[in-house]
Amino acid sequence: MTEPVAKKRIPVKRWMILGVIALGAYAAFFGPSLLKPISPVVVLPPEPTGLSIFGFEITNTILATLIADILLILLAIGAYRFVKSGKLVPGGFYNAFEAILEFLWNSVEGTAGKWARRIFVIPATIFLLVFMANMVKLVPGFESIGRIKQMHEGTGYAPVKLVSLGSLNLYTIDKGQPVEATANAEGETGSAEETSASLCTACEVVPFLRGSATDLNFTFALAVTAVVMTQVFGVWALGIPYFEKFFQFRQLINGGIFGLINFGVGFLEIILEFAKILSFGFRLFGNIFAGALLLSIVGALTAVGVPPFLYLFEVFFGIIQAYVFFLLSTVFISGATVSHHSEEHH
Amino acid sequence: MNDPVAFVAGLKLLGAGLAMLGAIGAGVGVGLAAAGGVQAMGRNPDAAPIIQTNMILGMAFAEAVAIYALAVALIIIFAA
Repeated sequence: MTEPVAKKRIPVKRWMILGVIALGAYAAFFGPSLLKPISPVVVLPPEPTGLSIFGFEITNTILATLIADILLILLAIGAYRFVKSGKLVPGGFYNAFEAILEFLWNSVEGTAGKWARRIFVIPATIFLLVFMANMVKLVPGFESIGRIKQMHEGTGYAPVKLVSLGSLNLYTIDKGQPVEATANAEGETGSAEETSASLCTACEVVPFLRGSATDLNFTFALAVTAVVMTQVFGVWALGIPYFEKFFQFRQLINGGIFGLINFGVGFLEIILEFAKILSFGFRLFGNIFAGALLLSIVGALTAVGVPPFLYLFEVFFGIIQAYVFFLLSTVFISGATVSHHSEEHH
Repeated sequence: MNDPVAFVAGLKLLGAGLAMLGAIGAGVGVGLAAAGGVQAMGRNPDAAPIIQTNMILGMAFAEAVAIYALAVALIIIFAA
């Protein structure tokens, strides 16, 4: 009965998508050089945004992490209010949230057993933060809107004024006007206010926002937290004997030659704990940094067609990396709560 | 060879590229883990969740080697 009505429906969204693709192709290949994508400058350390609190510089990755934090806190408040409201069946967004938490809880319970209730909070918090940071990072505007800065080496681009809102001038950089940056010693000694007041000639964009996990400080902070909590839970579950894993004096005294070997293995365990921090930190950093680099470089080479699929890929990888971090910290922490003396009696 | 600075910069990039050869082993390892996991899930679909968890765990450990290579490459380019 309703089919004729459905037939009349004009596929607006389809034409909108096609129009956006056509616009993108025009901007990338035929349009003025102003619209062309510019290949990015690869910077490893996070760049300061110019903001500072009590002399502490706020970098762009900190700003992005704060946004992820605020979103998480809003989500938590929403979930709390939902739980308080007494409704049993969650709808919409909270349904998805509940599904995620249920999945996480099942993973933790499968590996940790009776310690699951105590362990759950730490890996789950890490998961939610990393997940949110990885998703927030993919919003357009990240890594592309920022201050323009004079480059000291390499090729920058000339700035072009777009509009001015009151005292605020908006610029973009023009691919058609590459400018070779000349490294002069005078520029270094000139005061910072002067360089920001007078316009740069060979410019690069220092973004206001950059993905949190592209900063080693973020990933290593999480890694150190996870490994320290591993030790804390080990001591909580086993008491001081937990450290016998590292210093096997009992083995050394009455174990003979194999006791000596086991004593050496104990020291390897200490090194292993530090290797955990390293691999935790670099795994997340490497994946996300490489993903961001891939997106911006491929986006500069072929602006149309390929980047959407890479975005999908990045969404997938953001979830997988958050899950891997979660799973590894769960396994390490629950491994620390289990006494390994019981294995010897088998 | 006339420009020693550019020569050293070029060698650095070459070294970073060579350091990433370490990713070969990790790639093979991750592939083997995935192959084993998929075969196991095909034989015993009921055990899929446990197999999946352990598969991802093994992949993460295999991947760690590639990550060390990446760390070395980044250090060569940016820090050394």
